[in-house]
Amino acid sequence: MSKHRSDSWQIKLYTVWVFFVVNLRRLFRDRVALFFTFLFPLIFLFVFGSLSNTGSLNFRVALINDSRTPLAQLYSTNLRKDKTFNIQSGVSTLAQADSSLSRGEIDVIIELPKGFGQIINGLPTGNAILRYSGSNQQEAQALASIMQSQFSAITSHFTKSGQTLKVITKQSDAHSLTSFDYTFTGLLGFAILGTGIFGPMSVFPELKKMGVLRRLHTTPLRVWQFFMSNMLGQAVTGLMSLGLMMVVAVELYHLKIVGDLATLALYLILGIILILGIGLALGGWAKNERQVAPLGNIIVFPMMFLTGVFFPRYLMPQWLQSITNYMPLTPVIDGARMILTQGKSLLDLGPQLAVMGVWLVIIYAVAFRVFRWE
Amino acid sequence: MPEIIVKVKDLSKSYNGIKAVDAISFSVYKGEVFGILGPNGAGKTTTLEMIETLREIDHGSATITNIDVATNPYKIRSLIGVQPQSPGFQDRTKLTEIIQMFAAAYGERVNPRTFLNEVGLGEKANAFVEQLSGGQKQRFSIVTALVHNPKVFFLDEPTTGLDPQARRNLWNLITEVKARGISVILTTHYMEEAQILCDRVAIMDSGRIIALDTPNKLIEALLKRGFSKPPIENKANLEDVYIDLTGKKFKSEA
Ligand SMILES: Nc1ncnc2c1ncn2[C@@H]1O[C@H](COP(=O)(O)OP(=O)(O)OP(=O)(O)O)[C@@H](O)[C@H]1O
Ligand SMILES: [Mg+2]
Repeated sequence: MSKHRSDSWQIKLYTVWVFFVVNLRRLFRDRVALFFTFLFPLIFLFVFGSLSNTGSLNFRVALINDSRTPLAQLYSTNLRKDKTFNIQSGVSTLAQADSSLSRGEIDVIIELPKGFGQIINGLPTGNAILRYSGSNQQEAQALASIMQSQFSAITSHFTKSGQTLKVITKQSDAHSLTSFDYTFTGLLGFAILGTGIFGPMSVFPELKKMGVLRRLHTTPLRVWQFFMSNMLGQAVTGLMSLGLMMVVAVELYHLKIVGDLATLALYLILGIILILGIGLALGGWAKNERQVAPLGNIIVFPMMFLTGVFFPRYLMPQWLQSITNYMPLTPVIDGARMILTQGKSLLDLGPQLAVMGVWLVIIYAVAFRVFRWE
Repeated sequence: MPEIIVKVKDLSKSYNGIKAVDAISFSVYKGEVFGILGPNGAGKTTTLEMIETLREIDHGSATITNIDVATNPYKIRSLIGVQPQSPGFQDRTKLTEIIQMFAAAYGERVNPRTFLNEVGLGEKANAFVEQLSGGQKQRFSIVTALVHNPKVFFLDEPTTGLDPQARRNLWNLITEVKARGISVILTTHYMEEAQILCDRVAIMDSGRIIALDTPNKLIEALLKRGFSKPPIENKANLEDVYIDLTGKKFKSEA
């Protein structure tokens, strides 16, 4: 009756739409799926949110010593041994330190400028500069007073009156990230990973076992239509879940949203669809759940530990960072953080989008190739 | 001469060098019920699934309304309805939703309730498939295979595991489908069913068709070969008793 009609694009997309709507309704009837989609990531958010909110006393400090004076050398050597200060190695120039500060990788920069510790008129003089970001004001003040009392102790060897070594605190104007910003965007990645990969990886083999996909295979339904309805569903539920996490993070953990929400949503949808592709490939290929579980874990666990889900990548050695840069989830998490907390636009995220684009092509090419209906 | 809808020629399929289907040929006419009989492992399912585009054809060819199965799988799938040996539907999905999905898969938009009413499942419209009995599920499965008004309807052992009422009900359904001009190809292990339902039957064994004709002609031929059976004393059998006691009409709540 309508053989020609069924060839048109509108009809093919109508098919996608019906599958999307029915399966979305089905998801909301499934308590287990609802738990894993919405509640599970929130539980992690509560746990990690309260962990990173206790704030560590051991804040990370970069020490930049530009002074050649013996006093400056001695002071910096002692500072490096001081457990309170937790001086980071590997940051040697002020420019490096500044950018680390803005990425939230360090909390404070102590700068001993040229000539600090010079003996003038028999007294050691100079100003140490303590630079901090807005989110670390209290910690910086505490550090400053510790340093000031150390300076007093030094000058007391020379004079009983007056204070010629001083600490000047400066708030860095660059907006800097808190450790929670990293925790939160990592958890967004965790939620995307969980539903995008473990979802299809457990649902598809189940549908195959019930013979549902086999039955669909007898219809003219195309694999791309089936995939696309899954992509739509995942984008919608994923955005809902991530949005919920964001509301909780803003309310409970004072997450500051700097960036444009529409840009963020667009970027996250891309990330969701990218990671879903891995799930579609695994679930579409698997004949049963037992067969796919080991492969799934081999793919998921490295991403969980190397792409910034549970610990920020700046804690990793440089060589490892340059490798993990190219894992599919890394640009999703990094980009989301850059939009959310630094207000970056899509144009600023060229490198991230490039990595995601390449993976998108590879992952979906594999997913289409290995898909089987039974 | 009636119109040929399905034409199978020298169709063959091997699994690991063993021939499951061995160069079989037959044609199915418009509006006829064609039965494929044979013991377990004879190759019935393999034959059906090659014609349904679900399994690759090793040798030979199959066409439906002159369209080649191997080269036009999507076109063929829009022309056929398939009831697999064990149909599965996703859980937590209403019957109406599943019908909408299947219709959508064929690019159609239908009113699911009309279809459900046709097979006495109107009251179950909002139920999930897992809440249906075996017979209801079977009827429902047939509905999903017919949403797009196909030319050929394949059923693989449709009545296995059904009670006598449900089976009779299914026969009625198949007869109605046939009356709509749809060709039906089914497999069965019940000879009585084949005799009542099928216009012609092919008997398969070890991948080959060893006989193909109308049930009556096959019986005649057997009698001509001198076959005789002890005369039957009973005018009724146990099944007649069962049907008489439990009621001829199918129970929709069965
Ligand atoms: N996927 C497969 N791989 C290997 N061998 C197979 C496969 N499917 C079927 N066979 C073999 O092919 C032969 C025919 O199988 P088929 O399922 O077509 O028989 P059938 O007539 O439908 O049997 P039944 O009445 O039990 O349903 C059997 O010997 C079977 O073991
Ligand atoms: Mg079979």
